[in-house]
Amino acid sequence: MAALGVEVTVPKDDGETNTAVNVPESVLRRDQARLEEAERRRNVKESQTVKEEKSDFFTSTFNAEKTAVEEMLSSSNFSDRDKAAKTLEEITVRIQQLQKFLNDSMLFLTQYEIRQAQASMQKLQSSLDEKRDLVLPKKKFAFRSRNAGATKQPEPSKQTTDKSASDVGGTVVVDAAISVYQCGFSNAENQVLIMQAEEIQQKDVLLSHLTNCKVKLYGCPSTLHIKNIRSCEILCGPVSSSVFVDQCTDSTLVFPCQQLRTHNTTATQIYVHVTSRAIIEDCREVRFAPFTWTYPGIHDHFKVAGLDPDRNNWTDVDDFNWLAAGTPSPNWTVIPETERISSWDFVGPS
Amino acid sequence: MGLLTILKKMKHKEREMRLLMLGLDNAGKTTILKKFNGQDVSTISPTLGFNIETLEHRGFKLNIWDVGGQKSLRSYWRNYFESTDGLVWVVDSADRLRLEDCRKELSTLLLEERLAGATLLVFANKQDLPGSLSKDAIREVLALDDIKTHHWCIVGCSAVTGENLLTGVDWLLDDIAARIFTAD
Repeated sequence: MAALGVEVTVPKDDGETNTAVNVPESVLRRDQARLEEAERRRNVKESQTVKEEKSDFFTSTFNAEKTAVEEMLSSSNFSDRDKAAKTLEEITVRIQQLQKFLNDSMLFLTQYEIRQAQASMQKLQSSLDEKRDLVLPKKKFAFRSRNAGATKQPEPSKQTTDKSASDVGGTVVVDAAISVYQCGFSNAENQVLIMQAEEIQQKDVLLSHLTNCKVKLYGCPSTLHIKNIRSCEILCGPVSSSVFVDQCTDSTLVFPCQQLRTHNTTATQIYVHVTSRAIIEDCREVRFAPFTWTYPGIHDHFKVAGLDPDRNNWTDVDDFNWLAAGTPSPNWTVIPETERISSWDFVGPS
Repeated sequence: MGLLTILKKMKHKEREMRLLMLGLDNAGKTTILKKFNGQDVSTISPTLGFNIETLEHRGFKLNIWDVGGQKSLRSYWRNYFESTDGLVWVVDSADRLRLEDCRKELSTLLLEERLAGATLLVFANKQDLPGSLSKDAIREVLALDDIKTHHWCIVGCSAVTGENLLTGVDWLLDDIAARIFTAD
């Protein structure tokens, strides 16, 4: 029995150990395979997603940065002007970076999160603006306030050329700007004003605040500005670029040009030679006729100005306040041929 | 590779940009556009409405929108703001009387939310005219140094001679490209 028992137990033992090892091994192997597969899948999945593109990551980063900026805003010492400017600058940059971060993250955020984040951005921005207004009050109309300061400067500074004026500051530039218009006439009444070709050759000419005057410009300026004119007669040679008319009443304007831009003008007759198109804006009772003035040398001046004497689109007027196609604008008309002025020597005030 | 990266790569492939050109009337917007595109500039009329040009430059496809600057058209500018990558602000450097107007219009534009991401290029145009202000003077008058919300640059140019137009546009392209195409 014993032998048998031994005989029996050995194989049994073997069998037991075999099964004890065998069964768990296959299970283990399968388990191992399963785990490996899961691991592999996870790795694949992880490699496909980027940590930065999770809303959790976004929310925590965004909030951390937001809090940091808020703290900077509330706790920084703004008593020293230079330091305060620097801090504000830094905050501005950080807010911009945060905005960029938000913009970059928009694609994977939900609508709600985007709205929330944008609201916080706005809050940050407005508290920064408040702070800036408080710490570094902005000169509201820098232009004028500085202008006042500029007038205290000694008079000669007005004669500086624009190049040197440019480094003095914007206000002075604009101030000087008007006086640098060496060319043109301003603030005159009941006068005959004449300029010759060499005075206006390729210059920016300004005629402003004239009443009851007769102006003749025998030459070709680069641009002609006509501003605040009443009851005047203005004749000019070929203008190589544009003529700018603003606030004109009861006047007669005569010139060739490349473009004519007319604004806020009423009851004015324009004898024009225009090689592109004329436009009117906020005008009433403007009447057009073809250019008829002539003076010795005007043909050469057409060449200098680069205008084609044979191309006159004086009837092509665009009214920017009348965009309806088909119906003509009520703001301008053509002067009937019988009413047109043909001789320019004895007309108007003198 | 994240979705965002894929989208950026797609946009990169297209390499398309939308530029919006604005400024007061008579600043020379249309002239700049036509000159840049190699067209005749002597017959340009004041813009009633807008012009669009699509052109290839340095491998980019540029859609340039040039909108009329007359006072009565300015209220329509906002219709063109959407998805603008670059804003080109054109200034007539010789028109001293209206520089203040010009500054106001520009500062209003920069508050516009839909232009918040756009790069700003200021062209101080008409530098060929003897009476024109330098680009530094324009920068001063327009208070450009106060702009903190946009990347900006000012370039003195002449649309008639074509001087510096390329310099300006190249800067604009580099800035935009750095922002939208190579952010990864």
